[in-house]
Order: sequence, then C-alpha cells, then structure tokens
Amino acid sequence: MFQHKKPSSMNSHERPLCVQGDSGLVLTTDPKPRLRWTVELHERFVDAVTQLGGPDKATPKTIMRVMGVKGLTLYHLKSHLQKFRLGKQPHKEFNDHSIKDGMRALELQRNTASSSAMIGRSMNEMQMEVQRRLHEQLEVQRHLQLRIEAQGKYMQSILEKACQTLAGENMASGSYKGMGNQGVNPHDMAGIKDFTSPLNFPSFQDLNIYGGDQLDLHQNLERPSLDGFLGGNDNLCLGKKRPSPYSGSGKSPLIWSDDLRLQDLGTAASCLGPQDDPFKGDQIQMAPPSMERGSDIESFSEIYETKPVISGDSLGEKKFEAAGSAKLERPSPRRGPLATDRMSPMINTGGIPQGRSSPFG
Amino acid sequence: MNLVTSATAMAMAIDDALELDLSSYSTTTTTTTTTTTGGAITTTTTTTTSSPEYDHGCNWNDWSPVVDWDALSGGHDDFRDLIESMMDEDGELNSVRVVQEACISNSTSSSTTDTIRTVDDESNGQDSKGLRLVHLLMAAAEALTGPNKSRDLARVILVRLKELVSPTDGTNMERLAAYFTDALQGLLEGTGGAHGNSNNNKHFITNGPHHHHHHHRDEHHQTDVIAAFQLLQDMSPYVKFGQFTANQAILEAVIQDKRIHIVDYDIMEGIQWASLMQALVSRKDGPPTPHLRITALSRGGSGRRSIGTCQETGRRLVAFAASIGQPFSFHQCRLDSDESFRPSALKLVKGEALIVNCMLNLPHFSYRAPDSVASFLSGSKTLNPRLITLVEEEVAPTGDGGFVARFMDSLYHYSAVYDSLEAGFPMQNRARALVERVFLGPRIAGSLARIYRTHGEEGSPWGEWLSGLGFRAVPISYANQVQAKLLLGIFNDGYRVEELANNRLVLGWKSRRLLSASVWTSSSLDSDL
Repeated sequence: MFQHKKPSSMNSHERPLCVQGDSGLVLTTDPKPRLRWTVELHERFVDAVTQLGGPDKATPKTIMRVMGVKGLTLYHLKSHLQKFRLGKQPHKEFNDHSIKDGMRALELQRNTASSSAMIGRSMNEMQMEVQRRLHEQLEVQRHLQLRIEAQGKYMQSILEKACQTLAGENMASGSYKGMGNQGVNPHDMAGIKDFTSPLNFPSFQDLNIYGGDQLDLHQNLERPSLDGFLGGNDNLCLGKKRPSPYSGSGKSPLIWSDDLRLQDLGTAASCLGPQDDPFKGDQIQMAPPSMERGSDIESFSEIYETKPVISGDSLGEKKFEAAGSAKLERPSPRRGPLATDRMSPMINTGGIPQGRSSPFG
Repeated sequence: MNLVTSATAMAMAIDDALELDLSSYSTTTTTTTTTTTGGAITTTTTTTTSSPEYDHGCNWNDWSPVVDWDALSGGHDDFRDLIESMMDEDGELNSVRVVQEACISNSTSSSTTDTIRTVDDESNGQDSKGLRLVHLLMAAAEALTGPNKSRDLARVILVRLKELVSPTDGTNMERLAAYFTDALQGLLEGTGGAHGNSNNNKHFITNGPHHHHHHHRDEHHQTDVIAAFQLLQDMSPYVKFGQFTANQAILEAVIQDKRIHIVDYDIMEGIQWASLMQALVSRKDGPPTPHLRITALSRGGSGRRSIGTCQETGRRLVAFAASIGQPFSFHQCRLDSDESFRPSALKLVKGEALIVNCMLNLPHFSYRAPDSVASFLSGSKTLNPRLITLVEEEVAPTGDGGFVARFMDSLYHYSAVYDSLEAGFPMQNRARALVERVFLGPRIAGSLARIYRTHGEEGSPWGEWLSGLGFRAVPISYANQVQAKLLLGIFNDGYRVEELANNRLVLGWKSRRLLSASVWTSSSLDSDL
C-alpha cells in the first residue's frame, strides 16, 4: 500500500534515496521521510504484534514500546499495522497463497545480497502468475472507473431534471437564459457566478453546508466527485469546454416529456438549491459546492494540465494526450460525447497506463 | 483526485498480493506500479500544497483508503465495541442487568455527564454518554416489550432520551439514538413507522429545525431525496457495491448473447443500468453491443420516497442508452396492489438471455413486503432465468432474543453505517445528517416497527430461500471480487468484503456485515453458464 504522503519534489523520474539512520531504520531522503519496511523490521514488527496478542489486540503505542526501535513513530506504526490487519482479513483468500509466497520470496531475494539459482526458475513462474493477476486487476480497475463515471452521468440527468422541475416552480427572476450554455466555455463560470445574486443563491461564504472550511469542502468533495460521482460538478470544476452531458452539437437529444431546454438551464447543480423560505437552512445544496469551487477551479485545472507530461514520460510512452486536447479516443465510435466528455482529468493524468485520452478544459 | 483514487486503489489491489509497503518496491517493481507512484506523487503533491496546514485534519488523509486513522486510534470504534461487549457478556444479552444499570445511570446521568466531560478526554466523556444512551435505549425497548412491560416507564425513558439527543447535532451515537428514540416513540404511540410517513409531525425529529409547508412537501422532499441520494453514493459504497457486483455477474453470464432481457424487481431511479449499458457498449468479447431490454415491475400507489416514477426512470434510461449508442427498450410490468407477480404478464422473446435482478434494502430503497418478494422470486423460478442477482441486507442472527435482541442488533447495524459515513467524511456533518434524515431515519423507524410486529422473529435471508427453491449458486469470479475490493478501496479502509460463499460477497464495515450480494441460476440445463 502506498504511503500517500508523497513529497512535493518527487516525480517519477526520481527514485527515493534511502539512508540508514543510526537506529538501523532505512529512511528515504524525501522531504517527508518515509520509512522503508525491510524484511527485518517487518519481522520485528510481527514479533511484537504476536507478543501483544495479535493484530487486533496490538495498538501502535504498545507495538512501539515492545519493538523499542528508535526513530520509529506512531505514524509509521499506524499505517503499517493497518495494512497488516487488512492482510489478515478473510478476503485475503482472493489471492493465491502461492502468489504471496512468491512475492515474499521475491522480496527476500531482492533484499538479500545473495542470489540463488534455485529460486530463479520457480520465481519466473510465480512472477508470471503475479503479472497475470496484476494485469487482470488493472483491467478491472479501468472498467470500474468507466462504470462509476457512467453512473455519474446518469445522476447528472436526474439532477438536471430535478432542476428543471424546480426552475419551473420557482420562476425566480424569469428565465435561466444566460446562465451559460454548458457547451460554451470559459464563460460558464462567469455566467454562473453572475447569476448567483439574481437567483438568490447563497453566496459562497454562506455555504457552510458541510461544515469545516471551504478548502476542506473542496478537498473532501473533490475526490469522489472527480471520480465521476458528482457528475454535475465536473462541469463546473473544469470550467471550460464542457458540453452538456447529452449533447454533442449543442442540441439536446434528450427525450424529456417536458418542454424545457437543457441548454438554457445551465448546469443542473447550480439549480439545485433554491432559496425559498421553507427550504432555507434545510436542504443540502448540491450546487453551491460546485459553484463554490469556482475560486479553486483555475488552480485545479492548472494542476491537471501539468500532469500528463510527467506521467506519460514515466511510462516511457505517451499514453495520454496533452491535457488540453479535446479528442476522444474511446473504443466505440458510436459512443456520443456523453460517455467521455465528462471524464475527469484525474483519470487521464493518472498513473494508469490505459491509453486513453481525455478532454478536459 | 481520481488519479489518486485509482492509484491507491490499484496499489491496494497490488498490495494485497504483496502484503508489504509498496514504497519499498518503488525502485524495482513493475512498470505499472512505478507509473502509479509517479502519478500519485504528482497528484498528491499539488493537492497537499494547496492546503499545507491540514495534516491531521487533512482531507486527503481522512479520505484515503490507505490509512484509516480513526480505526487505529479507536475513536469511532468505541460504540461498536460497547455494543459488542454488551452482547457478548455472559454469552447473551443480559438485558435485565442493563435495565438496572440504565435506571441507575439515568438518575445520576446529568451530574455524571458533566463530571466526566470536564475531567478527561473528550472521547471518554463521549464514550460514557454513548454508553448511557445505549443503556437508555435498551431500557426503553425492554420497557416496551419485555416481561416487565411498562408503557409508563418507557415513556419516561424516552423523554429522558429526547433531552439528551438530537437528530442533527452531536455525535454519531447521539444522532442515531435520536432516530431510535423517535422510532420507539412511534411504537409506543402506536403510530408506527412501517406505514407511516417519515415526516410524521408527532415526532420530534420533524418538529425540529425543518418546517415544511405541507403543500410543498413533495417537491421539497424530492430535492432532498435526490441530494441525499447523490451524497449517499459519494460517501459510501452501499449503493454501488450490490449493483456493480450484480452487473459484473450479468456481464459474464451474457458474453455470447445478442439479446438480453432483465426483469428488475425494483428499478427505482434506474442507476444500476447506466453502468451495465456502459459496459455492454464497450465489451470486446462476443457479439458487440447486444440489445438490452429491461422490464421493470411497477407498483400502483406511491407515497414513498422516490426519485420519480417508473415511467420517468424508463424515459431516462432510454435517453441514456441513446446517448451512448446502446440498443435498448424499456417495459413496465404492473403489479397488483397485493404485489403478486405473474410471470405470464411478461413478454419474453425467444433467444434472449433472461436475467432476474432483485435489489432489496439498499439504503434509498423502499421497503418491500416479504410476500411481494417471495411472490417475485418464486415466480421467477418458472421463467428459468439465466441468472438471478440478489442483493439484500445482511442481518445477524439473534436467536430467541425477541424484540430487544433485534432492537440492539439493529442499533449495532446502523451504528456501523453511521460510523462508516463519518469515517469517510468527518467534516461533512450536514451532508451526513441529510442522508440520515432522508434515508436512514425512516429505515430505522420502519425496521423497528416490523420487528415489533413480528415480535422479533426474523425471516431467513432471501438467498437461503432461493437455494431452497432449487436455484443453483453461480460462483463469483475473481474479476468481480477484485472489482468489489477496488470499489471499497475508493472509500475507506474500514469497509471490507468477504466471500461468505462461492456465490456470495458481503460488504461490511469493520466487523459488522451489512450487505450481501449473491448470484444464482435456475437449475435447468438450458441456463448453464
């Protein structure tokens, strides 16, 4: 499992340099030094845990005491203990024992200076098995992302429909025209921001929906939403060039029974959360968070735009197009923009060698 | 963020094989790992730079599937442990003693609360309060139904409880206790929660900060429902787990088919089929993009929490299918008011692969009476479906404990759900409160009402029922298991998936099992997979 605290200076070109401290701990030289769990250290850990009665009884504090290793912090132990506990869970049976043993043997082989020809041959078989499993897992991962996105897009249609219903009821300050056609780009954000007041949407400051401060909000929501969960937010988050989910050429092909035109509505999210008195204070406003992100949109976009370069290189081949590209390279040509437009940039800037590109603006 | 998600999710998947910190492999493992690392590093970098001071409170931490600080520090485990310890004492629930304790603690609670609170850790105080609430709830349940029934005592205890809790403020335990209190109140007054609207004005929950104008209620409610639904999906795997597991099993079962027909017991808003369609249009093996037909069972009167009618769902699905190029048609099959299912009412087409999909008890679903479910499942048997996908609540057996035992088990169950939401989104109090109000609260009320009516007798799981009807188990594939694990990995490490049978995956939070997804086929040779 990854230690998620990756230091800022690291990119895939650098390998973490390791130093051995006085206590015998191997630490990396990143700005946030990461402990390297060598076989020896891990064995001491396991010993300590066993002494304490197993992974469920042991706590980071007690383990630290028992191990008595200088420089080992609770921080290190917490995460390692967690992984260890996970490793003990029943669903571990998913993996072949042979694979685990093989990997352990691999690790041993790497860490110990001596190599053994005997191990070599069966290592290959195990390695291949592991490779095969890893490959399958990657496939599953890729499919999972697409499926999650699909649900996100579908949710978008639900949100928008609800929006229309509300819009019809509220009739607040006339029409929504000018909210910004989703298909129109940089003006999106401006348009929505501008309409905050006339439509009586709460100002950003008021939107303390989720508690904590704005940054927290972004952080916490951002991740799941960028997975495609909060479909509506994608539009706003990435601001520019995002056609509405169902339109390719600006026309709305949706077969709604109502008359409302999606185009004129702007984003669903922005509608959800009218400010009727009865509603006030009651509802969680879906939209505002996304609008709220306006201030951070640029920074996030910037972030994403720089990604592909790095990740692409690390693979040794360009697996993703540049961030700004709006090209869709999805398998089925029949697929409308719906399926891919809303791809979060994260997916494509990621370390997943999937050969997809994504448009994001 | 998605990058990190997938990175860590993948790392977790890989890591399960390795069982060690992959950081030590960063120089030497497979390319993909390195790449992921590279990507993850970059991503995380920029994320953290934008909020450098958030370390402990860093949402990346809180969200990350890699580390679950709360689990390790034991902060939110406390209540579950409490319940567990109470259940385990003397090998069974010793309710009499607990009632006594409750009465004692009841009388001294006010002073003790303050004392404890001021003394030490906040968590200690909360533990005590949590424990007190549990005692009170159990005492109330006992008073309501136990051998020494006393409605007056129950009433008094509930009054006390209401002073201590609120459905929107306080800790998980406090909010949860509020809903349970409310549910018990309903039982006491005989209004019940099973048929009642969750917005029954008699209950203090809805008399709280929410002032609905009656004529606005439905639309208002609709928006709340949708928002809560979105939030539920974002904050937890409870919706996606069952749907994705079922979908994957379906995909594997229909690889060579050109026509697929799915009969959906409770289609709700139809979101399950969005991802299935996506998978169908992009499948590489077998005939490309098969034709998909979905028949949804629809019921007459609603009055339930819903995100639109069956027809609207149909329209939505048609539109979605069109947008991704999935050949699709939608049908409805109306059920009578007694909800008995008549298989003959279905239009079947020769050569189509028939799938029966039965989602029960997802948090945003309405309750379906056992008779209805039974009718549907038995009826399905006559259709000889290729596959039956079943998702249902996983309920722990409580033996002869009667109402109180099931009440406590229910408390345990929902505390796990609450904890799971909080673990993932500790700062998003209002969001969670909305989900609790819209979905979980009414669930609790309904569930308790049913338990009350059946005097704590529990039905057997529907999976067992299917087995009894003669359906055969269909093993859940490796890919499906991996998908489940990856999905959970996106959320929080506290979620776990267990393979309790070769055809059954169970989603749980920490040590509490919550949701079961199983796959079956009719035993006719025609439907061999």
